[in-house]
Amino acid sequence: MSSESSLFSHRWLPALLLAPLMLLIVLFFYVPVFQAFYWSFFLEQPFGGGSEFVGLQNFQRVLSDPEFWGATGRTVIFMLTASSLAVVVPLMLAVAADRKIGMSYPARNILVWPKGIAGASIGVVFAFIFNPFVGLMAPLNVLFPGLWNPGIDGTDAFVTLVAAHVWSGIPFNFVILLAGLRSIPPTMYQAAAMDGAGPWRRIFDVQLPLIMPQLFLTFVLEFTESITSVFALIDTITGGGPGGSTTLLVYKIYVDGFRGFDLSGASTQTAILMVFVLLLAACQFFFLGRRINYER
Amino acid sequence: MNRFTLAAVAALMAGAGSAQATNIEFWYGNTGPVETAIKAQCDAFNASQSEHKVSCVGQGSYEVSMQKAIAAYRAKNHPVLIQFFDAGTLDLMLSDAVEPVQDLMPDVKWDSYIAGARAYYETSKGKLFAQPYNSSTLLFYTNKTELEKAGITETPTGWEEIIEAARKLKAAGHACPFVTDGDTWRILEQFSARHGLPIATKHNGYDGLDAEYVINSTFAAKHLANLVEWRKEGLVRLAADTKAGNYTAAFNAGECAMMEQSSGSYAAAAKAFDGKYELTVNMAPMYKGYERHNTFVGGASIYVMKGHDKPEIEAAKAFLDFLRKPEQQMFFTANTGYVPVTTNVLDAIAKSDEANSPKYATAKVGVESMNQPATADTRGIRLGFYVQFREVFMEETQKAFAGTQTMQVALDNTKKRGDQLLRRFEQTYKGKQLP
Repeated sequence: MSSESSLFSHRWLPALLLAPLMLLIVLFFYVPVFQAFYWSFFLEQPFGGGSEFVGLQNFQRVLSDPEFWGATGRTVIFMLTASSLAVVVPLMLAVAADRKIGMSYPARNILVWPKGIAGASIGVVFAFIFNPFVGLMAPLNVLFPGLWNPGIDGTDAFVTLVAAHVWSGIPFNFVILLAGLRSIPPTMYQAAAMDGAGPWRRIFDVQLPLIMPQLFLTFVLEFTESITSVFALIDTITGGGPGGSTTLLVYKIYVDGFRGFDLSGASTQTAILMVFVLLLAACQFFFLGRRINYER
Repeated sequence: MNRFTLAAVAALMAGAGSAQATNIEFWYGNTGPVETAIKAQCDAFNASQSEHKVSCVGQGSYEVSMQKAIAAYRAKNHPVLIQFFDAGTLDLMLSDAVEPVQDLMPDVKWDSYIAGARAYYETSKGKLFAQPYNSSTLLFYTNKTELEKAGITETPTGWEEIIEAARKLKAAGHACPFVTDGDTWRILEQFSARHGLPIATKHNGYDGLDAEYVINSTFAAKHLANLVEWRKEGLVRLAADTKAGNYTAAFNAGECAMMEQSSGSYAAAAKAFDGKYELTVNMAPMYKGYERHNTFVGGASIYVMKGHDKPEIEAAKAFLDFLRKPEQQMFFTANTGYVPVTTNVLDAIAKSDEANSPKYATAKVGVESMNQPATADTRGIRLGFYVQFREVFMEETQKAFAGTQTMQVALDNTKKRGDQLLRRFEQTYKGKQLP
């Protein structure tokens, strides 16, 4: 690592090699982002027949719209419940798989497989698993008719969504957390065990503190991911219903913009959502990131 | 960047294949048997002459087709012909992106289209904007076999009779007497139209962009509240209450005994019932004391988009002419259950030896339903951001069905949110006149 730039002595070559990727990022990220911010100050006709500058009127309208706050509230609830579970569940699995218990080797492998399944496919499968007549809950419905029906009851639909999200988040977080656990020198446990620490004590006093960087990473990624990546699940499992109970902000933007042709309203909400996600990540780094010790 | 290159290469290759023929694209949104019929019509058109060639591109749904058309139009890469559904009529009329078919082809006898189908797609001054294509309307389906099992020999026609029949079915142990998905088109729009009730002021927006919703104060509000009560009583089921999870599938499988559904569903129901149950199809039910008016035309129509050169427009005209031919309309009706909406085709069917064949069953009753006496409120719906309004209606009424708010509160909220949409639409198209 003596001289990083000595590999490419040519002045333009690095820029040239980077150019295709930068072009893609500009084309598919920065241009649309700019467009969304731009449109949020206009009333834009879908077919581009004309647009009117309205200043902050779109923001005023969106920010005083109870539907927007409803969707934001649901987004926050989802973020807190689903992302916490999507880290805690893989953490338990990783701690278990890290120990020398039966099946831990195959489990380390098998638990990664769901990573290969697209969000939309997970949605289709979970819609079936939680079907009130043929799914997992069907026997309960026979005993207590009407107990479980995500097609009618908003809470049931929300629970289904959280379950599907947690399941789909297992592989990635599991790999990261397991890698963190595997990198802890075994001598640490041995020393702790010699000092009389039981298994639980070793988890809380040795393992968890030492995988803080990994836990932090998974939390940051989960919190931001849960806001946007849930789209595929909503679209396939609930379609935002029943009664809007699973219309999270990201889905509301899609419905307003692409199904309702309200480009300005959707752009305004996109701008707000983007600022929210950036603030969230900044807060996490500011308040949590500083306390994490990356040195071992 | 790549897409443009690919498109250019594709265009070159296609051009090389047929040197003189003008190539145009037609985008549609249907899937399943309807898509098969559309493709068959495209192939038949291309085989019938060599001057023009139309490529029919399926987009998977009306909404997706529209999204892509908006993006393509902004990129000046749009198709010549696009099929679009009823709810987007006003968006397209004000878009300045389409050429009214009546301007483009003034010589066509557009008055051969029945009034019910024309009114939805024409300006308030009577100029037709789009050529009606797959037209449907709301009909009332019953499973006669199941009804007879419960001792109901006469097919019910009014809501009072339907509920009486539903009570008998329930008493006979039937779990799902009447099923609906609570869709806006079915339980609000078509109900209001045939009962002669307005959906919004200004004759549903035909007389100006400053219309306001009235759905919370018409008789439709009472009917929707009734649906909630009937569901509590176990007479009416929602799609999510059925084992099939989809109300048409639930009816077709025999799980539910009655439903209100588009005429476009007839082919599938008849096929599913074949040999097991007897099917009846009639005009959608009325309440006692209300005079029957026409139902709206549903389905979709074809628009010609602006910004194309003369040969392409000629090709588009030729294809539209082809689709209007009686034998093509009859082919489409027979294969899909959609309703022919020109008088000459209806005459041709009546004169043919298959006049009473089940494949034309919906044509007769569907047209009869659309031909009922009209009022200024039953021409159609000319309201802005209407697709979004449908979503709002579904969301609020679902809450009422789930019991978290009353139907009246749901409809008051729907009106409030709907009016906000209308005001924003009005502002978005400020300075534009309704054609």
